[in-house]
Amino acid sequence: MLRIIGGTVYDPANGINGEVKDLYVADGRFVSKTEEGQTIDATGMVIFPGGVDVHTHVAGGSINFARAMTPEDHRRTQAFIRTKTRRSGLGGMAPTTFATGYLYAGMGWTTVNEAAVPVLSARHTHEELRDIPILDKSSLVLMANNEIILDLLEDGEDERAKHILAWHIWAAKSYGVKAVNPGGVASWKWGKDAKHLSSKIEGYDHITPGVIINKLAKMVDSLGIPHPLHLHCNNLGAPGNVETTLETMRHLEGSRAHFAHLQYHAYGGDDWGTMKSEAAQLAEYFNAHPNMTTDAGAVLFGDTVTITADGPWQHLLYKLTGRKWGNLDVENETGCGIVPYTYRPSNLVNAVQWAVGLELLLLINDPWRVFLSTDHPNGACFWRYPEIIQLLMCADFRNDCMAKLPPEIKNRITLPEINREYTLYEIATITSAGPAKALGLPHKGNLGIGKDADFVIYHHDKDIARMFGHPRYVFKGGEIVIDDGEIREAPQGREYLIKPSYDPNTDDFLKPLFEDRYCMSFENYPVEMERIEHAQIQNCDATDATN
Amino acid sequence: MQKSKFLPRGRKDRTVVLVDIRETKSAKAADLFLQVRPGKDFEMLTILRAMIKGEHVTDDQVAETGLTTDVLQDLIERMKKAKFGVMFFGMGLSMTRGKHMNAAALLTLAAEMNAFTKFVAMPMRGHGNVTGADVIMRWQTGYPFGISFNRGYPRYNPGEFSTVDILVRGDTDCAFIIGADPGATMPRPAIEHLAKVPTIVLDPHVTHTSRLSRVHITTAPAGIAAPGTGYRMDEVPMPLRPALNSPYPSDEEVIRRIKEAIAEKPDWMTDQPQMIFSQV
Repeated sequence: MLRIIGGTVYDPANGINGEVKDLYVADGRFVSKTEEGQTIDATGMVIFPGGVDVHTHVAGGSINFARAMTPEDHRRTQAFIRTKTRRSGLGGMAPTTFATGYLYAGMGWTTVNEAAVPVLSARHTHEELRDIPILDKSSLVLMANNEIILDLLEDGEDERAKHILAWHIWAAKSYGVKAVNPGGVASWKWGKDAKHLSSKIEGYDHITPGVIINKLAKMVDSLGIPHPLHLHCNNLGAPGNVETTLETMRHLEGSRAHFAHLQYHAYGGDDWGTMKSEAAQLAEYFNAHPNMTTDAGAVLFGDTVTITADGPWQHLLYKLTGRKWGNLDVENETGCGIVPYTYRPSNLVNAVQWAVGLELLLLINDPWRVFLSTDHPNGACFWRYPEIIQLLMCADFRNDCMAKLPPEIKNRITLPEINREYTLYEIATITSAGPAKALGLPHKGNLGIGKDADFVIYHHDKDIARMFGHPRYVFKGGEIVIDDGEIREAPQGREYLIKPSYDPNTDDFLKPLFEDRYCMSFENYPVEMERIEHAQIQNCDATDATN
Repeated sequence: MQKSKFLPRGRKDRTVVLVDIRETKSAKAADLFLQVRPGKDFEMLTILRAMIKGEHVTDDQVAETGLTTDVLQDLIERMKKAKFGVMFFGMGLSMTRGKHMNAAALLTLAAEMNAFTKFVAMPMRGHGNVTGADVIMRWQTGYPFGISFNRGYPRYNPGEFSTVDILVRGDTDCAFIIGADPGATMPRPAIEHLAKVPTIVLDPHVTHTSRLSRVHITTAPAGIAAPGTGYRMDEVPMPLRPALNSPYPSDEEVIRRIKEAIAEKPDWMTDQPQMIFSQV
């Protein structure tokens, strides 16, 4: 039990904007009052709900491939030395599992969503998630290039496809559906791509990326999955791709959708030489359409490693940079590419990308619909979030940073014209309350009675990056996990899953198909429930989903 | 062989090329066998890369590899015509003259082939769960093998921290061997060191290493009498379900009990907590 007195509370889920308020915790949750336990005097300090990351890559085949490809980074990065309460590990561009938990918690984040899991390697992903301490976790399964689903859509068997989709979510012990470059990754098996909504998908005659997106979004809504279709659009990273993104948004009117890392999908221009920001155009459309949420996928200058299921894009990035390239093809399901990358302020394309991420966060006016992310580790590593918060809260700092960009950047970005500065209340919304709501985790990002006592106490500090990088205390489930930068406890977190309902005959339909096409037996494919540590199954409500 | 939507005739729709220094039994199963001169893998791979890029290569240079320009030209045509090419490689490439340079040349060739068609490369791993050990070490430490924890955090340097190097140098004062038999394969100085220090072996069988160890603990064989997970060489994890009962404990149980016993000993580790963002 715990009493936190005198703190200035920012709790957007309950409309509390900087009120001095006492908080009480018992059995890991907030309660209305308790007289027992430790008292922490938070007078003059700021209290936030624990951060929630709606889109990150922290576990599974792709990030583990990235770890293998970057030993040169491990050597120069921060090492975590083993102690009684802590396992050893390494930080850096692709942190090890234990370090991932310590680093997220160290800046006040307590829930993360692993955004890309192939069913075939879901067992591996869950094993890694179990080794990420402190955090609560969820994961999304990759479905937009799955051969069995695409074949059914090609044959117009939409209803059956929906049952198969639900079956796969449960087989992967997943929390929702991710679509990456729909049709494009399937085409990549032939060395091709599908850049536009009407592009041909290699191996198919009837379906297009547009059809896949539309149908998946409707299936997700009709199954009542708490988190909407989580979409990585076609044509990522390419100059002029804003057209594809806008077309996708128009396609999805009437459905819920979460647009992942929108920064990578907001470019104008015809080629790398003329590439410019179209964040303003995209934000204008987005602002007028409340069916959508997004995360920024912001870029910060420096070294990182890019990892994505978007295989064809990574091949292009390898050709552009001449750096290391890792490619994985996941049989009938998806793909994956890894390329280490350095974002440089002197590089015009990188400078535009840096500006676009911030522009989207500043021009989308509803903080409940745009969330802080770097698409870790693609745009930057998650442990650099405090730098982005500083850029959002301090226009002067932003201007200082812009002054260092090449002069040709003028007329390519709108950032210099934006004066908006985020308030603490808005930061608490985009880092916690908003993403928790979008994920359908109402007990997260919320300091109300009965909610999970995951919260952070910050010192007030004019240096915003320092303030958010060095919380005074971080609490997970009512337990102090970080005390003035020290890791006190590393409890095991939960994993959120859903079990959408599907036709009980689905197994009989899938089994022969599966044995024909897969290289493991049907019985070995689904992840066994006993492999998930502290599993928590969230409800699917088919009637409630569109609200 | 597996039939699929795009390769409905299974093996008949596929082409298998075997490259080796001698005609092995696998040659019978291949459509094409190329016999490369021992120690010339790097040269052959580099010549292939050059020819694919249209660089001039002399017949003499090709002849040094034991092959001819025509044979390589035919191979290149086949590779470019493939819809999806895979190169599998094993220790014959990575542990012979050139070592990691050979593997790097092959991986570069696979990457460069993507200018023409889809191509990937995949290492053929050893028996047992080599890949699984590799995958887990990577997520826990960032490195696949050759890891030292002696400063309290993982450091990596194959050639310095690999098992054989540590044993040959005599750097350990204890050895714990699980499911491996270095006593049968390692160089004599390494084996002599294992015999000198307290060596503990966990294995379902009595091995060469067991014979020179102080303690051998018989364990249930994983996948036969003990459950677990095995990673295939493409890193897809497979559940292992025991078909038989065993009177012996699993490796996991033995290690857990040793760990519990050690936890009861006085702690030697520092209580000094570490700042999370100590490094700027």
